[in-house]
Amino acid sequence: MSENIKIVKNATCTFCGCVCDDMELHVDLDENRIVKTKKACVLGKAWFLEHTIEKDAHAAMIDGKKVSMEEAIEEAAQTLVKAKFPITYGLSDSTSEAQRQAVAISDIVKGNVDTTSSVCHGPTGMAFQGVGESTSTLGEVKNRADLVIYWGANPAESHPRHFGRYSVTAKGMFTPNGKKDRTVVIVDVRKTKSSPVADINIRPKIGKDFEILWALRALVKGKKVADDIEEQTGISLETLEDLVERMKNCRFGVFFFGMGLTMPRGRHFNTGALLALATDLNEFTHFVAKPLRGHGNVTGADNVVSWQTGYPFSVNFNRGYPRFNPGEFSTVDLLSKGEADAAMIIASDPASNFPKKAIEHLKSIPVISLDTKSTLTSKDAHVAFRVSTYGINTTGTVYRMDDVPITLNPAFDSPFPGDEEVLKGIKKRVQELMLARHNANGARGEAKVAAARIQE
Amino acid sequence: MALKLKLHTQPDVPLEVDCISPDRLQSLSNSEISKQTIFHGNRQVNLGDFFDCIGDFDNEIIIEGDCSNIKHIGTAMSFGQITIEGDVGTHTGAVMSGGEINIEGSGADWLGAEMLGGRITVKGDAGHMVGSAYRGSAQGMQGGEIIVHGNVRNEMGHAMRRGLIAVGGNADDFAGVNMLAGTIIVLGDMGIRTGAGMKRGSIICQNIIDILPTFSRSCDYQPSFLRQYYKYLKSMGLTINDSFLDGPFERWCGDSVELNRGEILLYAGK
Ligand code: SF4
Repeated sequence: MSENIKIVKNATCTFCGCVCDDMELHVDLDENRIVKTKKACVLGKAWFLEHTIEKDAHAAMIDGKKVSMEEAIEEAAQTLVKAKFPITYGLSDSTSEAQRQAVAISDIVKGNVDTTSSVCHGPTGMAFQGVGESTSTLGEVKNRADLVIYWGANPAESHPRHFGRYSVTAKGMFTPNGKKDRTVVIVDVRKTKSSPVADINIRPKIGKDFEILWALRALVKGKKVADDIEEQTGISLETLEDLVERMKNCRFGVFFFGMGLTMPRGRHFNTGALLALATDLNEFTHFVAKPLRGHGNVTGADNVVSWQTGYPFSVNFNRGYPRFNPGEFSTVDLLSKGEADAAMIIASDPASNFPKKAIEHLKSIPVISLDTKSTLTSKDAHVAFRVSTYGINTTGTVYRMDDVPITLNPAFDSPFPGDEEVLKGIKKRVQELMLARHNANGARGEAKVAAARIQE
Repeated sequence: MALKLKLHTQPDVPLEVDCISPDRLQSLSNSEISKQTIFHGNRQVNLGDFFDCIGDFDNEIIIEGDCSNIKHIGTAMSFGQITIEGDVGTHTGAVMSGGEINIEGSGADWLGAEMLGGRITVKGDAGHMVGSAYRGSAQGMQGGEIIVHGNVRNEMGHAMRRGLIAVGGNADDFAGVNMLAGTIIVLGDMGIRTGAGMKRGSIICQNIIDILPTFSRSCDYQPSFLRQYYKYLKSMGLTINDSFLDGPFERWCGDSVELNRGEILLYAGK
């Protein structure tokens, strides 16, 4: 280890949705590597310590051959402008500044923009729209919550510092004794590493979350539920009634729900049922429901796409204005049905985790990829950009899972450009090309004004 | 002779053709019809680039060719007839208020979504969200009829407000979810969570289904109105077992987390 060590205080870990911003990093500037972390959990530690810069990687490649940045940007822009149904996907492991550029590009080329939300908490987004959201920040949870219910989530393994920083052992203004002041309930079909933390573990039959939530809603409203509820769901009526009493009588209750709720059969109805239950409970006490978001900035992706288009994900600009329709404009569906004819994938690897049919189609169309490492998607990409890692090499804004924006404090420089820089380059070129097309088509009146506005 | 639109070129990305509706084409000459703007992905093109236009409009439009990648046919139509000789893409007959659409092949998702009146008949299957509400809107189908001879997928009649959906085959999960009123009849099997969150309305099932814990059984009876429905469906070409006509039905009411005024009628004659 060299002597040239820089200490970075208050750095931010962007590995999971907790976005812990109290890290202390020791950076070896000669080797461009983080050698020590303080306060990070196992996942965060691995994220920082395993981060290296592949010096022999190329920043820009076309069909596997090294090219200059300008050439790659030109080719990417041409590909997007030529396409009749270009799609943008990914975005959740990127800064909000870069996400903003990506939405702008999709708007200009009249494409489709979708984030990884559509394959994780997309159902939550749909349920928010259908049912509404009773929400709070994690700070409020830390200071006030006396009943914490995790549903279909395993934070001990997915968000290791969630318990300590916000929800279980954290000591707050009205919860001075930490865990002693709280009741923790975990509803999960399996025993997990999180289970020992809970005061009450509820283990329903697989795929019965909706039925249980529905029964809880009925009980909260003072209605009867079917006698065979235990047979149906694996949970006895007494347990449910006890839970209802606790929920009604707490001071501040919170649901944290994970993909164990959003992914099984029923999807947005499962989350919708939970959100509706939280709403019902507000007749008796204060109750909120928050999704446990996975990737670092997936919450930012929802926020940015929402404030730019009005919808959180699966947004289509084909007709020049935004339309939202998950199921039609979600990337998995567009690829599986073979509808897209070019794709820009940002910080995501659909070639490794999408259904087979979707991957097949993705392989048959030109792909532009931006990633910090080599992935299955970037290997097959027509234009591949290697970008620096947000949070470690580049600054920017990241949204924590409770929609609180946090500014990143990077540790050291990378030879590769940030996503934002590359996307800005593509955006500029795409604007010029679209303007040229408008003029060539003899844009008149409004079209001309719109074209001029694009150029601004 | 009816107006015939013959697909001569398969689109490589979806086509959006909301101009194919009697309301839009009724007073146009064939050359004007060929010049109607449609969307090929994000490009505006002419209808004539993909369809040959033959004959004259006399209240009927016949569409030939595989239209499974063609969306929005018959959107918002209010009269006349559209016959589609093969499969068709999403949003067919969405928000229509009158007239008739006959699909010889299969329909897709959002068939007759938020329709207000008229009739859609599908000889094959249909997709998800048949007669349902679009995301974010409070009411689905508000009138008219959708008759599907084959199977349908999830969320049929989501938040439907009035009208009839009849399915000859099976329906998947969440049929009639958040239903406000109206009638759904399924002759085949049902998925899970039928009628979740329904306020009013009737869902009639011929086979045993899983009933949510928030529904309660009220009685067994022989609803005479069903006879009329079945007779009508028979006349529309669905195969109805005669024993249903006066068979006993279990009546379940729910959903108690909502108004509890809805009903699920389960055939109990087996
Ligand atoms: S909890 Fe998440 S954000 Fe915090 S250090 Fe661990 S991985 Fe990083």
